[in-house]
Amino acid sequence: MKILIVDDDLHIQRLYKEEFEDEGYEVVVASNGKEAMEKFEQETPDIVTLDILLPDVDGIRILRQMKEKNPKIPVIMSTAYDYRDDFAVWASEAYIVKSSDLEELKAMIKKLLSK
Amino acid sequence: MNIADREKFTEVIFENIRDGIVMLDKDFRIRAANSSMGKWIGEPASEIIDKDCREIFHDRSSVCPHCAALHTFETGEPNVITQKGGSDDSPSFAELSAYPVKDEAGQVIECVVFVQDITDRMLCHDEVLRLYNEVTQTKEYLEGIIENSADAIVTSDLNGIITSWNKGAERIYGFAKEEVLGKFLPFIPEFLIDPEWENNQKMRNGEVLRRIETFRKRKDGKIITVSLTLSPIKNGSGDVIGISGITRDISEKKDVEKELVRRNQELSRLFFISSAMRGTLELERILRMVLTAVTMGDGLGFNRAILFLIDENKNVLKGAMGVGPSSHEEAFHIWGKLSMERKTLPDIMQDIEIGALKKDSFFDRMSVGIDIPLTEETILTKAVKEKILFNIEDVTKEPLSDAVLVQQIGTQAYAVVPLVSRDKVLGVLWVDNYFNRRPITDEDMKFLTAFSNHVASAIENARLFEQVKLAEQELENIFESISDMVYFVTEDYVVKSINKAVSRRLGKSPEEIIGKKCYEVFHSMGEPWTKCPHHKTVETRTSFVEEVEDPFLGGTCIISSSPIFNTVGAFIGTVNIVSDVTELRNLRERVIKTERMAALGEVAARVAHEIRNPLVSLGGFAKRLEKRLDGGLKEYADIIAKEVGRLEMILNEILGFVKEARIMKETVNAGRILEEVIATMQAEIEDKGVVFVKEFGEPIDIFVDPNRMKDAMLNILKNSVQAVDPGGMITVKTYRKENECVFEIADTGSGISEADKASIFDPFFTTKKSGTGLGLTITHRIIEEHGGRIEVRSEPGKGSIFSVFIPLKNKQ
Repeated sequence: MKILIVDDDLHIQRLYKEEFEDEGYEVVVASNGKEAMEKFEQETPDIVTLDILLPDVDGIRILRQMKEKNPKIPVIMSTAYDYRDDFAVWASEAYIVKSSDLEELKAMIKKLLSK
Repeated sequence: MNIADREKFTEVIFENIRDGIVMLDKDFRIRAANSSMGKWIGEPASEIIDKDCREIFHDRSSVCPHCAALHTFETGEPNVITQKGGSDDSPSFAELSAYPVKDEAGQVIECVVFVQDITDRMLCHDEVLRLYNEVTQTKEYLEGIIENSADAIVTSDLNGIITSWNKGAERIYGFAKEEVLGKFLPFIPEFLIDPEWENNQKMRNGEVLRRIETFRKRKDGKIITVSLTLSPIKNGSGDVIGISGITRDISEKKDVEKELVRRNQELSRLFFISSAMRGTLELERILRMVLTAVTMGDGLGFNRAILFLIDENKNVLKGAMGVGPSSHEEAFHIWGKLSMERKTLPDIMQDIEIGALKKDSFFDRMSVGIDIPLTEETILTKAVKEKILFNIEDVTKEPLSDAVLVQQIGTQAYAVVPLVSRDKVLGVLWVDNYFNRRPITDEDMKFLTAFSNHVASAIENARLFEQVKLAEQELENIFESISDMVYFVTEDYVVKSINKAVSRRLGKSPEEIIGKKCYEVFHSMGEPWTKCPHHKTVETRTSFVEEVEDPFLGGTCIISSSPIFNTVGAFIGTVNIVSDVTELRNLRERVIKTERMAALGEVAARVAHEIRNPLVSLGGFAKRLEKRLDGGLKEYADIIAKEVGRLEMILNEILGFVKEARIMKETVNAGRILEEVIATMQAEIEDKGVVFVKEFGEPIDIFVDPNRMKDAMLNILKNSVQAVDPGGMITVKTYRKENECVFEIADTGSGISEADKASIFDPFFTTKKSGTGLGLTITHRIIEEHGGRIEVRSEPGKGSIFSVFIPLKNKQ
């Protein structure tokens, strides 16, 4: 299974990559919107974690582009600030506020991939 | 009437008339005197016949017919004089009218003098004038307030045509008064024309729209937000005839003073409308008396009489009342009945005075329907315009005869006298002898003329009285019904008059307040309170408006005090208006608090990004490190991870408080919520040995988010448990108060100082060594989300009581 991690914070990128690789996933990373779309098309991941605040294009727009390309790939929005209320209409599969405790995120990925 | 009848008739009048009549010859010897004359000299009239008038009256009486007759003997013309007698404290007045009696050669041989007691009329006249002046003055004062008000005050008719426009309106809208009077309301924006029409309909139904927020267009096209109060203007019979609008530009609404001024204006506007109304009751009585006197056999003896009064608004002569039979049969019946009952004119007057005679005749109803436009040229309108009387002996020979009278009531000959009071024509008195066809003589006309003068002044007096009475009544009503306290205080601090709101607020009857010193009844002080605006007004003689924290009445009040000067400009006291603005102020403070929180939210969201990301990597990598390490180092990594976890929690708490979480409301029992909160605190309560009292009365269902409410209550309870010393007491209660459910948590802890009280709900405020300072802020927020409020009472060293009020009808 392949996970695409989109986050401009390089430490978080690395933390997620190492943790998920320990779990046995294949991980690809992207640091901005443009890169994210390139990886999404080239690598065809099984699941994506997507930050909202990106340096070029915001995550909401990226989510829409990904869903237009391939609506079957589940996306987890992962942010530092709780945008849930503003975000409801965009209907990603899941939403999580970033935490140093990754257990919730891991459980979420497992659940989405098993569907 | 034959000569013998005529003589008898004259004799009856002579002996029964209330006025004294005395007849003098050229040597001022008394030739005849009627019995009414007796009361002026204190002996029977028969005793003074043939005596010299001067001897009889000069020293013994307050009147002197000789003085009136002197001029008539010299000139041959009638002469009227007024004489004053009695003391200065209780003066008496008499009007003496001398009429010449001439021989065939035109020489005056005798003189008839009528003596009439006009004391009541004179005194009443003075009193009316005084009241009238007073009302005029108040009116000018109120007009001044309207004109100088900061608000736009505009009145219009029901079609939106402007009838008045004050300076405030010029300032706010930019149109000058001359530009808009008589035009359609120029300030309604096109997009609001339909809704405004709905308001117009409400006005027509008599509704009042208070302080609605809407838009208005200025002359320069700029749209402004305004607060608007619309009220219907009613005429005397209660029909809505116009609309008054008071508009405030609320871009600068800080000024609470303006509110007060606006209320004053509302008051004065109502006052205007009322003083424009004309009452009828007293006037009607006078008119009836007049017409009865004109038509009674022992009065002037005409068959029919109609009083026409000028209606200035419609520019017509309007039939006000008519007296007389409507047919020969009725004439026969009435006159027969009256003579059978043998009622004299004074008796009938008495009946009218007490209201025994009612207006019910067909002739009266017909008379009241007659309108004669003053623009037409007829006998009646000529009598008004030229102030002269007419005796029309044959209507067919007079081209200006009033057609309406000829056609509708069939008159063939009639007489008209104008009713003039102080150079102003009030109307005309019309008479005819339709049933007995007796020609109207010059003698009749003379009587009628003398009579009409008295009638005119009586009518005018009555009208003035009515106006004053109405205005007074209206003022009184307004005074009593406004919810603000209004009272007059003299310069010596004595309360002169109060409205109901004062006795309600002070909890005392008017008798316990009026006549007392104001500082005693309002402030329980022995001397004037220096902070009181009334005190300042007395000192400086200028108006004061101030927001005062009143330690005696409690709460915050806006007090306005204005000096009152009497007619000669001397300061006599102040009128005070007190509005309780405690609620308003609380509301204002809550708004400020909410705004501060919103600003805080923005900051928090920005900070979150900057802090959360590093925390996530820090904690995440610490956890990874921990997995690979042993012994002491593993422990260090564990500490880092745990501390990061704690930091993240604090961050969540801060962000959770600024972020509006979705509220999931359901119907729950208020006591149940507290029970659950207490259960989570059970261990701490027991550890500390706190005495815990629960008083849940009848079960109260409330519609709230139970989890949020539990959070809110938990924060309060935590505070209380921390505040009490071991062995202290905490009492929790739920009860219903009006439309609210009240949660009350009282402790016997350290209490909150007055200085801290204002800040306990502020974010990051804490007196404890540990804690985020967000507990009570979150509580406050949750309660606000539920449309409720929280109150704190506390006494340092004794304890605190937190009361949370949640509205019961909140099911949305």
